Amino acid sequence: MATFAETEKEVLINLTEQLIEILAERVDDAYRDPLAAMVGITGHDSPPDDEVLLRLLPNAYADPIESAEFRRYTESGLREKKRVHAMSVRTHLLNETSEQISLDADSAQAWLGALNDIRLALGVRLRVEENSHEQLELLAPDDPMRGVYAVYTWLGWLQESLILSLMDDEQD
Amino acid sequence: MVKTEEKVEELTNPNFFIDRPWITIVWDDPVNLMTYVTYVLMSLFGYSKERAHELMLQIHNEGKAVVSSGRREEMERDVQRLHEKGLWATLQRDDQ
Repeated sequence: MATFAETEKEVLINLTEQLIEILAERVDDAYRDPLAAMVGITGHDSPPDDEVLLRLLPNAYADPIESAEFRRYTESGLREKKRVHAMSVRTHLLNETSEQISLDADSAQAWLGALNDIRLALGVRLRVEENSHEQLELLAPDDPMRGVYAVYTWLGWLQESLILSLMDDEQD
Repeated sequence: MVKTEEKVEELTNPNFFIDRPWITIVWDDPVNLMTYVTYVLMSLFGYSKERAHELMLQIHNEGKAVVSSGRREEMERDVQRLHEKGLWATLQRDDQ
């Protein structure tokens, strides 16, 4: 169970929409061959140019040739899983009129996945590194990244509390 | 399509007859929460909380950890499941 203010809901809906939009990049040109699309072959095998998309759909091998082969058969499936998670969180937030949101086991997994994907995307944009938190805490009040960092921190807290409650459930 | 070079490589590899020649590695990244990495390792691989916590610390402190080993196809599936969860994972031969 989590409680959201109306503005927090709006922020989160907006972020899920941005995530869905990023995940849709490169899709249009991917399904030129309908038969290939049917069996989940994406048609392209190069890693995404967009840094955020590359973090969400990473290489599976250090070797670029092996990585490309793997990507050709798996990227569309991975992208679809992530899109479904983001869509389900968005729908959940849009349909929930109260401030209280409670999650069953399935929706908790979708939330966990989508929250993490959004944090990964924001982390790339914020250039988060192992020891960059102090620096990010000190962003100037008029720096547009300051708000992004605040949202990133809030989502981390939200995700952490969701994980802890899932771990508690498993121990019961 | 089977590539001949791959076949030859498989046969000449000294680990060809060893049972578990491929490994899945999870790499450290600055965004994923420590509790999240622990939780994912528990739920995907069935590790105990203690073992998952140990592996998470190894990833955090040493930059990476081997989280599973087995046949190549199994490791490809593990990497795919880890990517679904947003962990940074790759697979490779155990002898590298």
